[in-house]
Parts: sequence; C-alpha cells; structure tokens
Amino acid sequence: MTTAGNAQQKMEAYLGRLRQLLRGMNPEDAREVIEELRSHIREKASAGGECTAAGVDAALTALGTPEDLASQYTTDDLLARAEVSRSPVRILQSLFRWASLSVAGFVVLLTSIIGYFLGGALLWCAVLKVVHPRTAGLWVFPNGADTEISLRLGFGNPPAGGRELLGWWIVPAGLVVGCGMVILTTRFALWCARQYRKSLALPRG
Amino acid sequence: MKAREGSDQDTVDKWEVQLRKGCLELAILAALWDGKLYGLEILRRLESDSDLIVSEGTVYPLLSRLKALGLVRSEWVESDAGHPRKYYALTPAGRQRSREMAAMWSRFSASMSRLLAPLTREK
Repeated sequence: MTTAGNAQQKMEAYLGRLRQLLRGMNPEDAREVIEELRSHIREKASAGGECTAAGVDAALTALGTPEDLASQYTTDDLLARAEVSRSPVRILQSLFRWASLSVAGFVVLLTSIIGYFLGGALLWCAVLKVVHPRTAGLWVFPNGADTEISLRLGFGNPPAGGRELLGWWIVPAGLVVGCGMVILTTRFALWCARQYRKSLALPRG
Repeated sequence: MKAREGSDQDTVDKWEVQLRKGCLELAILAALWDGKLYGLEILRRLESDSDLIVSEGTVYPLLSRLKALGLVRSEWVESDAGHPRKYYALTPAGRQRSREMAAMWSRFSASMSRLLAPLTREK
C-alpha cells in the first residue's frame, strides 16, 4: 500500500509540474497531454503486474524532465501553428512560452523581438513618411567622432543639426527591408525551434 | 586541425544520430499504416521493427504535432488495464503524406545505394 501510494505520489508530482509548465497551451490540449502521459506511465510502471515506485521512477526517467518535455510540446506547437499562420503575434506568443522553459527559448525570443521591432519600425517609417514628409526618415546627426544615425517617425518638429539621408527612398527601402526583416525573423525563429527540437529528439549514442 | 582529427568518430556518431532523427516522423506514420495504435504500442513497434532508438519524451509531442497538422487523429478507448488509452490513426491526408514520403525515401535510398555500391564492395 505504501509503495503503491508512493508511486502514485511521484507520478502526480511529475504530472503536476508538467501541467504548470504547459500553462499557456490550449487547456483542453494540455489536459489531454496529462491524461495520455498518466496512462503511459501507469502502463509502463505496472509491466510486471503491480504498479511499483521503481517502475514509476524508470518510466519518468525515460520520459525526461518535465522541462524538456514541455519544451518539446511548446516548440512542436509552434511549428505546427506556423504551418497554418505565420503571424508574428502568434509566433511571439509561443516564443514567450518557450522562453519560460529554456535558455535557448529565451535567446530566440530576445533575438526575435529585436528583429520584429526593427522590421516594424522600418515599415512604420515608410508609411509615416507620406504623412510627415519633412520629418520622417533616416536621419544622421554628425556629432564629432560618434555620428548618430536615427530612424525617425516624424512626430514633432524637424530635429536640429540633422540631415536626412534617404529622402523619399525611405518608402520603398523601408517597405522592402522592413518586410524582409519580419520574414527573416519568422524563419529564424522556426529554424531555431526545429534545431532545438532535433537536439532533444533522441538520446545521444 | 588536430582537434578535428581527434573528433572524427564523434562526427560520424553525430551524423548517424541526425540521420535517425530525420526518419522519425516517417517511421511513426509507417507504424500506423496498418491500423490504430496507442503511444506505448507505437514506441514498441519502433523498437522492435527498426533500430531507431527513440526517446519516449519525443514521440508524444511529435504525435501531438502530427495531430495538429491533420495527419493523424486520436480517440480515447477504455481498456481492461483500468485506464483509458489514447489511440492514434492516420487521416486520409496522413495516408497520402506517408505514401509520398515513402516513395521519396525509396527513390533516395535506391540512388544512394547505387552511389555507395563501390564503397561497400571493398573489404
């Protein structure tokens, strides 16, 4: 009775941790994941008849840590979703979850935020150039050794001491480079997710 | 350069692992070709019919991705063991995809075998 209780406890602790880590996943899907794994652990642990604590231990070890498992569900979810929609918002949502689970996810999230931010800023600048023709654009501020280059959306007065670099070319350049950065960032995030997924896919050897 | 020579065996091992990983998705779809199976059965099938050493923590997330992609569907079935089991089966799209992947694999492996024939004949 104590061993059976112990085994049960260990399994529930593992599944409880996993449930916590899967928060953010669609709740119905998360519930199914937990039920499926509970069924798997029980069946593996009671191969010799009774469900033993040692059996549960072995089954849990074979599954890997809850963190690794949750990371795999999260990156797989990201990859599956990306086949349907490449919306940066949805990709960032998944990346936030992945970032909470692993260092790799965190680095990919940071890089993607920077990529989407720069791409978005360029697109905005191209659009706002039409509204603020005199102030929006790519400006350079000569300041001795460290010349400052800044992308301005054109709100407020024309900045003092600056010179605009691209003129109206910022419109096509901003649109092309901005779109390019958004697309590249998406591809980068998916590529990282795939690589990470592969690195966890099999034990070494 | 020296470090490289030392890790030759390592490189070969890594290559083998990559090769196996690349086949996993097709292997799972193939295991389901004859009918529905639940997770542990799929794992056992992969273990007995192939020498893909599969980590269990990999197969379940992959199954849920294949489901999200519409290649497999799942249903819960009560069992004598006292707990329900989640069975997976190929959808029509999954059968189509498996057939295409299998055809691609056969073409690829046939041309690789021709190319590799001289290497395996020696010794």
